[in-house]
Amino acid sequence: MKFSEIQELVKLINKSNLTEFKLKEGDFEISIRTKNYGKVRAKDIQALQSSVPQVVSVPAPMQAMAAAPAPVAAAPAPIPAEAPASENKNTLLIKSPIVGTFYRSAGPDKENYVGIGSIVEVGTVVCIVEAMKLFNEIESEVSGKIVKILVDNESPVQYDQPLFEVEPI
Amino acid sequence: MQTSSNNSANLTKLTRLDTIKKTLFVGKEFYHFPELASTNDYAIKFSSKSKPSEGTVISTYKQAQGMGQAGSKWESEPDKNISMSLILHPKFMVARDQFILNQAISLGVLDFVKNYISSSAKIKWSNDIYISDKKVAGILIQNTLVSRNIQSCIIGVGININQTIFKSDAPNPTSLKLEMGIDFDLDELLEMLCWFIEKRYLQLMANSFEKIKVEYLDNLYRYMEDALYQIPDGQVFRGRIIGIEEFGKLIIESKNGIQSFDTKQIKFII
Repeated sequence: MKFSEIQELVKLINKSNLTEFKLKEGDFEISIRTKNYGKVRAKDIQALQSSVPQVVSVPAPMQAMAAAPAPVAAAPAPIPAEAPASENKNTLLIKSPIVGTFYRSAGPDKENYVGIGSIVEVGTVVCIVEAMKLFNEIESEVSGKIVKILVDNESPVQYDQPLFEVEPI
Repeated sequence: MQTSSNNSANLTKLTRLDTIKKTLFVGKEFYHFPELASTNDYAIKFSSKSKPSEGTVISTYKQAQGMGQAGSKWESEPDKNISMSLILHPKFMVARDQFILNQAISLGVLDFVKNYISSSAKIKWSNDIYISDKKVAGILIQNTLVSRNIQSCIIGVGININQTIFKSDAPNPTSLKLEMGIDFDLDELLEMLCWFIEKRYLQLMANSFEKIKVEYLDNLYRYMEDALYQIPDGQVFRGRIIGIEEFGKLIIESKNGIQSFDTKQIKFII
């Protein structure tokens, strides 16, 4: 889930009469309690009387945001934290979101999307993973310089398999 | 509902449509071109530059370089056929579930074809539409993934409508006109195509995954029939399709037992 989507969600929940909201999407989980939650279970709480929704439990990358006094306010997007760390602590990995075949270009006569040394930004297309003739352009979630390409062109890739190693600039 | 052929002279090169009216959201943002190299290519570029709304339709009746699957050409005579691309943002599903989207769209195009012919039509795995042993329509899906989510999805659909002569080496083409002997109104059919696809997409959004899977199998070409298949080393064997795996692999039973194949591992002998 993107930071902007969480912002949107918090806004929506704030406007609603909900007391509590939980969402699970794959291994991402978020749980939000609103000021109404405090009203309903006044006995149970003392700490939850803030006037803004409180993010009660979130995975590590989101904790920085939860600590901010008002989640709705602009905070530095913690995007690099979302990216899984590779063996080398200083680099980030771009992983395959599906099982399929890895292609470095859009076709045999097309140029590779990226190579070693290419600078990628969030949203840069880095490769195609094809599965059952469905073609998936993979956009980078990180920015930096490609330092390693971990898979050969046209080879099969597994779910979550690292494809590229990216060095943050 | 079939269109009569007596006004075929009036079949204009440019569409009369300014938007698709029958639908809820498909084709409300609508761009029709007298000629276009590839509607999918255009849709991909368009999506990367701007933020087209969900349901945006790009169409032409004269696609110069239609893409078939795996780089094969989709032969299309000018002003006889429909080529369209639909832009979707299926936020309700994750990338690894994309085969079900393919199944829903295939059913939508199949529903459309069935509406105009008297014989039966089937889905040839994974997403071609066949009338008996001939291909009438093809689908090409190109997604953009960010993390595990589908950011945008371009659904390209090519349907042979009024073309009767196919010159190229395309293996076994047919068209609605070849099947029915009449000309069809492209504008009217484009609108109906959007409507049929939208219906299936709404079904998917309503979480009817199981129903879609069942209907896909019910309408699958050669399902539970003995037929010949070829594997990449050239070997031909007899087997029968007995199912589809979760991520779309074809399950075939033969004297070698039960095996599953992805699209590169097997070819239908037709």
